[in-house]
Amino acid sequence: MGAVDELYTRFDKNLQAVNGNSWLAGKADAAGIIANAYKEAGVESACVYESELLKEIGVVKALREAGIEVFTDHIRLHAETAKGGISEAQCSIADLGSIVQLQDDIDGRLVAVMPEYYIGVVKISEMVDDYDAMFDKLCSLDPLPAFVGFITGPSRTADIECVSTVGVHGPLKLSVVVIADERRQRNG
Amino acid sequence: MANEALKQEIQSALSNKTLGRTLGTFCETYPEKRLKSYEGVDFEETRENIRRVKGYAADHIDEMIDEFTKNCTARGGNVFHAKSADEAMAYVRDLVKEKGVQTIVKSKSMASEEIHMNKVLGDDGVLVQETDLGEFIIALEGNTPVHMVMPALHLNKEQVADLFTDYTNEKNEPIISEEVKTARKVMREKFTHADMGVSGANVAVAETGTVFTMTNEGNGRMVGTLPKIHLYIFGIEKFVKSLSDARYIFKALPRNGTGQRLTSYLSLYTGATDVCLDKETDEKGPKEFYCVILDDPGRRQMLEDETFREIFDCIRCGACLDVCPAFALLGGHVYGSNVYTGGIGTLLSHFLVSEERAEQIQNICLQCGRCKEVCGGGLHIPEMIMKLRERSAELHPNPTYKFALDAVSDRKLFHSMLRIASVAQPAFMDGKPMMRHLPMFLSGLSEGRSLPKIAQVPFRDIFPMIPQDVKEPKGKIAIFTGCLLDFVYVDTAKAVIKDLNSIGYIVDMPMGQSCCGAPATYMGDRENAKKTAELNIGALEAEKYDYIVSACPTCTHQLKDYEQFFEDDPEMLAKAKELSEKCYDFCKLFHMLGGLSDEGDGREINITYHDSCHLKRSMGVYKEQRELLTHTKGITLTEMKESDNCCGFGGTYSIKFPEVAAPILERKIDHIQETGADMVAVDCPGCMMQISGGLDARDIPMDVKHTALIIAEKRGLM
Repeated sequence: MGAVDELYTRFDKNLQAVNGNSWLAGKADAAGIIANAYKEAGVESACVYESELLKEIGVVKALREAGIEVFTDHIRLHAETAKGGISEAQCSIADLGSIVQLQDDIDGRLVAVMPEYYIGVVKISEMVDDYDAMFDKLCSLDPLPAFVGFITGPSRTADIECVSTVGVHGPLKLSVVVIADERRQRNG
Repeated sequence: MANEALKQEIQSALSNKTLGRTLGTFCETYPEKRLKSYEGVDFEETRENIRRVKGYAADHIDEMIDEFTKNCTARGGNVFHAKSADEAMAYVRDLVKEKGVQTIVKSKSMASEEIHMNKVLGDDGVLVQETDLGEFIIALEGNTPVHMVMPALHLNKEQVADLFTDYTNEKNEPIISEEVKTARKVMREKFTHADMGVSGANVAVAETGTVFTMTNEGNGRMVGTLPKIHLYIFGIEKFVKSLSDARYIFKALPRNGTGQRLTSYLSLYTGATDVCLDKETDEKGPKEFYCVILDDPGRRQMLEDETFREIFDCIRCGACLDVCPAFALLGGHVYGSNVYTGGIGTLLSHFLVSEERAEQIQNICLQCGRCKEVCGGGLHIPEMIMKLRERSAELHPNPTYKFALDAVSDRKLFHSMLRIASVAQPAFMDGKPMMRHLPMFLSGLSEGRSLPKIAQVPFRDIFPMIPQDVKEPKGKIAIFTGCLLDFVYVDTAKAVIKDLNSIGYIVDMPMGQSCCGAPATYMGDRENAKKTAELNIGALEAEKYDYIVSACPTCTHQLKDYEQFFEDDPEMLAKAKELSEKCYDFCKLFHMLGGLSDEGDGREINITYHDSCHLKRSMGVYKEQRELLTHTKGITLTEMKESDNCCGFGGTYSIKFPEVAAPILERKIDHIQETGADMVAVDCPGCMMQISGGLDARDIPMDVKHTALIIAEKRGLM
């Protein structure tokens, strides 16, 4: 198994353990996968916070072609009704199935927390092994972004009778598209 | 006696079926879930690091406050350093007024509860909305949290449905997934309209001015993303120096809290992030970001107190509650604080909420030590609770206890009382070997269990007649019997002699010995505890022996701990030290001196083993006795569930809280029966008394024996 496959497999397994799911995709296939996931989930409108990567893989175009209404501005307003939210997460952690937002921009934060179905897009080149590697990375950032958010699966609660229930105030469903952007150099 | 109101609250908690079921199930599954979440992570190393980084912050607290203030301010935040709860509340109140805030959404902030924010702002006409599902439910109920992490454990889905129906004026079905949807719908409206968000910090980083918040439901993120004003309130104990230091806390917090490797959301806010200022025009800009650092006199008092300073290392994970046998039965309401519950809650309440309340509730602790094993900050919770008990006994001595303890500490008086009791007891024995009923005020003692009879002839009178035929003795050992071996379990004491003789040691019994002093210690009576320590150090003359053996872990622990009484007396301290070093509990010593052997009568017997709290957790002995038993020919060892869970005896606990001790014992008996064993092996006479009493009261014909006696019998030494 190659380094990329091994890293992704670990990430996917850990994300599934917290009720999320993921796909490993090339840049050419990613947008199609997202559009398809929303079609299947019955998501008719989505807020997209467009990063360079999302522009490059053509998410907005693919969603519109699939008949899904897309908002790229007035996110705060539309996120109240749109069922989907998409953004790029800057990092991810294989050992936890977490994605990590290093995100000052309010729209990037809103799309990840308000809609019912959030899809995060991450580059495998930005995936770290474990929690400690992620903290080491955060410690090396100067300045630290005003907001850093670890997201590990959809929102959940066990507050009624200790019964684990997925989907409370944050997304009810969470998927991650891992872009196999380049062969990653593994450090040790 | 414990305060009547507390007793009533205990009764009410015990009769709440939902609480019993939910909490019971949670506490039963928690240890395994927690352990699993630590796969690949070294817990001991993690908590060592937590102690280190939090300890550093506590030692440099003023620097931490200044540095955080400087760095948060540089990133556009406003920091207020409040020197009291009132000052913090006044600041928040003025801020709310000045900004014209009408509605607030809040995600769990314990500090805001300490300053009674909801009440004060509510009286000003501001709507403060709890957004965490559990907190929301108890706010509707008008109650306080029953658990630090799961506040509404005491309510079932039917009760939640009724509360939601009343609140929404729509019929809510008692289906958990639907109730969660209702909460999302109701709260969404609050999030989008709130003028201000209030958060609690799990950690605050001085070097970067960052605050951390963990949540699962996503309410923490909504509070930090939507409102234009964001206020953090947290105590000075939340500081660490660097971002890197913060990592250790979040390694332990979710694993200890809920058995998760990480919660759904872990968010770091450094100064003022952007918000959407107007959703119609899509105007964006930095939010107004405020931090109130709560630095009240209670926290400073904690920091200055050598004994309690380590409370600062607490990470508020709640693990101490989840493993506490008393908490598993009672939940948090009996702890009486609307903020902190359980063992740690007792300590925090003392400094931060109410000393009076803490004085009553510290009695709920069994001193079993399970909390210490899992504590994320490595706090010595039972020892600190013991200190509270001591301080409370000094301030408000209980005359009944005092009289009893004075008697116990007077060897001659105590021993003559026991001798008289052995003659008087047949009246209560129904012709059976156990006493099932006790008269009047002592009746609590026999609730759910019978008591053993006091021996007609105490061990001290038999001892000189026991032949000790040891050729070429390897050494001389003094036996410390303690009250139960001397006056009740005489056979066990005899077995200890025979076992040690069989491996070449002569045993002597210094007759001046008396009660070890544990009862006085557990009642907080330091004066009598010290008196017995002096007496026993003098009587045992440790310098004359190779070892001191005790077959009661509570006594062993107490004897080993005598040094604490003589810190200012070098001569006594040296003697106490020698005693401590030479003193061992039976199985440990017997195993160490070569007692392990394959001998045995070969007669098949299925034995299950119950670990004593003191032997396992205070002295770390749990392998030796199992090896001794399993090597003996004929013995099959079948482990019971939760073998190291307290039996409910807890020294004097079963006298103070029989209603709590009884269900703890009940559970132990169930686990024993599930094994199908013929016999229960124990190493503590207190456990022996508790468990055999429980079995007898239920007419279960099963023997409970000390490991020493089992070995002696199977090897044909008796």
